[in-house]
Amino acid sequence: MVEIKNLSKYYGRNPAVKGIDFEIRDNEILGFLGPNGAGKSTTMNIIAGYLPSTGGTVTVNGFDITEQASEAKKCIGYLPEIPPVYPDMRVEEYLTFVAGLKGVPRKERKAQVEDAMAKLHITDMRRRLIRNLSKGYKQRVGFAQALLGNPKILILDEPTVGLDPTQVMEVRNLILELGKDHSVIFSSHILAEVSAVCQRVVIINKGEIMAEDTIENLEKNLTADTVLNLTAEGDKDKIIRLLKDIRGVNSVADVKEISENRNLYQIELAEESVRNEIMSVLLNNQCSIVEMHLAKLNLEQVFMKIIQEKKKSSLEQLIDETKQSNPYDEEV
Amino acid sequence: MFSLYKKELQSFFFSPFAYVLTALFMLIFSFAFVTAIASMDSNVLKFSFPGIFYDNFFFFIFIIPILTMRSFADERRGGTEVLLLTSPLSVGKIVLAKYFSILTVFAVMMFSTLFFPVYAAINGQVMWSSLICAYLGFYFWGMVCIAVGMLLSSLTGNAIIAAILGEIIMEGTLLVDQIGGTALVNAYPKLNSAISWISMQRRFIYFSQGMFRLEDLIFFLSAAAVVICWNIIAIEKRRWSHS
Repeated sequence: MVEIKNLSKYYGRNPAVKGIDFEIRDNEILGFLGPNGAGKSTTMNIIAGYLPSTGGTVTVNGFDITEQASEAKKCIGYLPEIPPVYPDMRVEEYLTFVAGLKGVPRKERKAQVEDAMAKLHITDMRRRLIRNLSKGYKQRVGFAQALLGNPKILILDEPTVGLDPTQVMEVRNLILELGKDHSVIFSSHILAEVSAVCQRVVIINKGEIMAEDTIENLEKNLTADTVLNLTAEGDKDKIIRLLKDIRGVNSVADVKEISENRNLYQIELAEESVRNEIMSVLLNNQCSIVEMHLAKLNLEQVFMKIIQEKKKSSLEQLIDETKQSNPYDEEV
Repeated sequence: MFSLYKKELQSFFFSPFAYVLTALFMLIFSFAFVTAIASMDSNVLKFSFPGIFYDNFFFFIFIIPILTMRSFADERRGGTEVLLLTSPLSVGKIVLAKYFSILTVFAVMMFSTLFFPVYAAINGQVMWSSLICAYLGFYFWGMVCIAVGMLLSSLTGNAIIAAILGEIIMEGTLLVDQIGGTALVNAYPKLNSAISWISMQRRFIYFSQGMFRLEDLIFFLSAAAVVICWNIIAIEKRRWSHS
């Protein structure tokens, strides 16, 4: 289990992470999501003990990462963004070296290396120089390295970057498999991946946590408004007027013209049942309905919405703050 | 720690790197050897090597920065520094493992030059006491230079810049003597004594004359230790102010 409390990191005067709190529970796969430059890699580097934090604490299985670094680091397997491989070494030689570096007893090294190679399907490549491997294979060698020493916690920084679709599937399955008896935190900016693998996600942007919840809850909470996509034939202005008159319709927007006299509208409803009313009103007024369906936000939209909402709110906050600090502005 | 030491040694000996450097080292040594024989007096009974070592310094000192330039710079450039720093090893152990591996390579290089004294001993007589002391002195001096070279490699993070800076500093340690010999410095006895205290070349003279002084041994070992500690602190410091 990893606990992150009030963690912050400044590069000079630039904040990269601003006081974040979250935890990774036992045997859980946690998705760490955010756009580029959000502070994902910085946070992971701190958890893995590569970078010290400016403030706050990281506790790994009860060991503080800076105070009891050696014990804490033994519990962690880390795959950084760029796989940390030596190009002049052979795959097996490299993995044996890493096993030694992590303090795996001499007798167990061979078995662990074999095991890690088998899990990542790189046994055929054992004699190859890492320099001559493709990007995907290098990534897998890096992943295999993280598994050595049987760490309980795995930190994977964008593990599927550079892999082809079949390899992506394999790695996802591997992560799911590992999630049964490991705590996994893995970062990505690909949302489909996160929703396929993780039970819980932490969304981070500009060094702050935007949301922390299960995927179902995130989707549920952010789709409180019911949105109806409607394609109808008839005079545009008339349809919009009719729709707006219906009780329970919050707003109507005409999105685009599909063909002559046929338009797509996006309607926000107070509740789902209003759609029967819409149907009857339109049919009574000789407008024909081509298609009608309820829109559900997927994780991609949820993500965009969270980031945009927070952006807006932080902008409003900023305006408020400047107003407060310059009370004379309005008088002038 | 032993794993890292072994891996470092492999990176030297599984590539042409160590062999080319050793060959270069032997080449320089053989030039000095031939010149020493050619210019030998007919009334010399025993062959003494310290002169050869002495002639060697100006060339030999260029080899050490090449030996050390990659030690930390390559780790930083290749992103493998993350692997070492997130391993359970402490920074001190990482630096020491790398240091000992380069010392081992250096010892192999020194060992290869034994060819010349052995050859001289077969065909003539050699002053073994001063030879052994000269070898020891040479090795101790090398220990300090290697520590400095590693520090530069970790500070600059670029192998080429580390090598060039290394050459300049190594040359500087030799030039300290020349500066000490100038009339300007001699006018101030205290300055002169300070310079001769830090001059490694003057300490080496004692070794080359077959004198093993504890004072010199402690000087070389403590200088190497100070630079190694500096290196450890420099790496920790860079982590804390990483940008």
